[in-house]
Amino acid sequence: MDPTVEPKDSMAHRPVSRKILVVEDEHFISELYVRALTKAGYDVTVEVDGEKGYEQAKTNQFDIVLLDLMIPTITGIEVLRRLRGPGSQPLKSKIVITTNLEQREEIRADIESQADAYLVKAEITPRELVEFLNTIK
Amino acid sequence: MDNLQKFTSQVRNRLLIVILFSNATLLVAGWACAQLLHLNAQAILLFLTPLSIALTIVLATVLAHHVTQPVKKVWQAVMHIAPDTANVAAPVLDARALGAELVTNLVSHIYQLASVIANVEKSAPSQNNPLGSNFVATAIPLPLIILDKAATVLFANKAMLDYTLRSESEVVGQNLYSVLDMSFGNENTLDKWLENAKANEAVASKTWERVRLNLPNDNTTKQFDLAAYYNRNNPDGLETMLVMFDHTASYSQDDQALSFVALAVHELRTPITLLRGYIEALEEELDGKLDPEMVDFIHKMKASAQGLTAFINNMLNVARVESDQLTLKLHEEKWADIVQTALNDASLRAKVRGIEVTAEIAPDVPTVGADRVAIYEVLLNLIDNAVKYSGTGKEVSLKSYLTKDGMVETTVQDHGVGIPSAVMPNLFEKFYRSHRSRAQVGGTGLGLYMAKAVVEAHGGHIWVRSKEGEGSTFGFTIVPYSKLADEKKTGDNNDISRGAHGWIKNHSLYSR
Repeated sequence: MDPTVEPKDSMAHRPVSRKILVVEDEHFISELYVRALTKAGYDVTVEVDGEKGYEQAKTNQFDIVLLDLMIPTITGIEVLRRLRGPGSQPLKSKIVITTNLEQREEIRADIESQADAYLVKAEITPRELVEFLNTIK
Repeated sequence: MDNLQKFTSQVRNRLLIVILFSNATLLVAGWACAQLLHLNAQAILLFLTPLSIALTIVLATVLAHHVTQPVKKVWQAVMHIAPDTANVAAPVLDARALGAELVTNLVSHIYQLASVIANVEKSAPSQNNPLGSNFVATAIPLPLIILDKAATVLFANKAMLDYTLRSESEVVGQNLYSVLDMSFGNENTLDKWLENAKANEAVASKTWERVRLNLPNDNTTKQFDLAAYYNRNNPDGLETMLVMFDHTASYSQDDQALSFVALAVHELRTPITLLRGYIEALEEELDGKLDPEMVDFIHKMKASAQGLTAFINNMLNVARVESDQLTLKLHEEKWADIVQTALNDASLRAKVRGIEVTAEIAPDVPTVGADRVAIYEVLLNLIDNAVKYSGTGKEVSLKSYLTKDGMVETTVQDHGVGIPSAVMPNLFEKFYRSHRSRAQVGGTGLGLYMAKAVVEAHGGHIWVRSKEGEGSTFGFTIVPYSKLADEKKTGDNNDISRGAHGWIKNHSLYSR
């Protein structure tokens, strides 16, 4: 997927080339997200495991990080803890958790204290995801 | 010893009287016989009377000694072990003595009881322990803790120490909350209750179900029901008493059931995410290229995938209700916003069945205290049900208004087949489906069960009115935010608000 391709349709509130990192191991889901995000003018990078996702996110070059929780190597919760937990470097990126996993109350409270938003993937279509991300400043 | 001697002499005196009397009778009888036989009765009497008196005394003394022996042995045994009487020897038990078996038995019981008491005293650990010698508190197999006014542990019985894997020195004299890491199902925790009891009550008691206790020592969790008794004026300063009833085994089975559901939910959601994503991509790519029938097919696919998402959430919520883990966070919410979101999300499912859903919200409906996600799902279930059971009816109407007693009531009315009166009482039960034979509709009967639990958790009430052939009206009430008791509010409303599709800090997903 070439991020420099201009989107065909004109989106009213298209951000000016916002950079987004998608950490997602399910290939079909990332395919759908990349398609919708690219069409909406996002500059998309995809990583398929926690370790690589963390290394990318750490570079602090992304406006938004979409983080799945059930991913190989290190879990999304661990990535979140490293990025936002005690002792972490300040990060300008907004972190949006995208998961289909139901959390126990206490784990969810932890996530709530560290992430900027939390989405259940099955509840939104790719277009709704883009509309939602466009509202994040 | 005095009492025993007195007892022996009393017995001897009584025996003396009895024997003397019978001897006297014999003497009189003998004298009469002698008279009849013309013998020298006087001489015989003079000889026999002193002899019988002497015999009587000897006989009474010997008998009294034997008869009182059993009592003496028991007395010796008791005195032997009594703490304040020194110098009483242990009884010597003679197998040939009167009542030997009974005596042996009694004496051995006395010694057994004595050793139990001695053990209890030995295990009573410290001098200042107020309950150390209380047999019940110590020996009861239920974990028991006693707290003073400052929630410091005064006493913890052995069962409690075993249960929490602590030694006595780690517990007694420590603050309760620093010793036990307990978590409760909702905000009505032990310390909240205790605080309130201290402020407002002289005597109070409360029980909690499914309290979790984290044990850092071996990284395990125990689950139990907790009972607490508060007595401000307990003369011994034993202000609060806590008793635990362990249910770790059965409660963790429920947890596993939930995690099985959580796993199933995750596995189901991934293909649904993909279905919804690809249907949307297809719709976008084919936009303008399809005839109306194909567009309708796509809409039906979309609506079905959405319906699956809603069903999965019902499943999850029912599992939560069942294991008592449905926690609601009530925030101030605009009722019209939530209704609108539910209407939008259900509209496609209605549309593909040719049904129009209308909403009418009275302008004076105030903000409500609601858990947005949960109450949204209640609305969605009622609208979905109305659509499913509409039959030939083409309209579903939703109304919200303020009732006379100040509650926000919402009704969802369909003009479908209605519900037979026989099944009405069971409608809100789990897995109950109205068996409307002609209505070919899907559904599992989870929705209304979940709706009832959620509405009641909001402090509201859910009801149904129906007439066969004329349709049904489901209604429920919830409490205006202003009426919500202070302790139910979560306080800072700018904190985190959840949406039906997730949450975002200081932001509403419903603005779209």
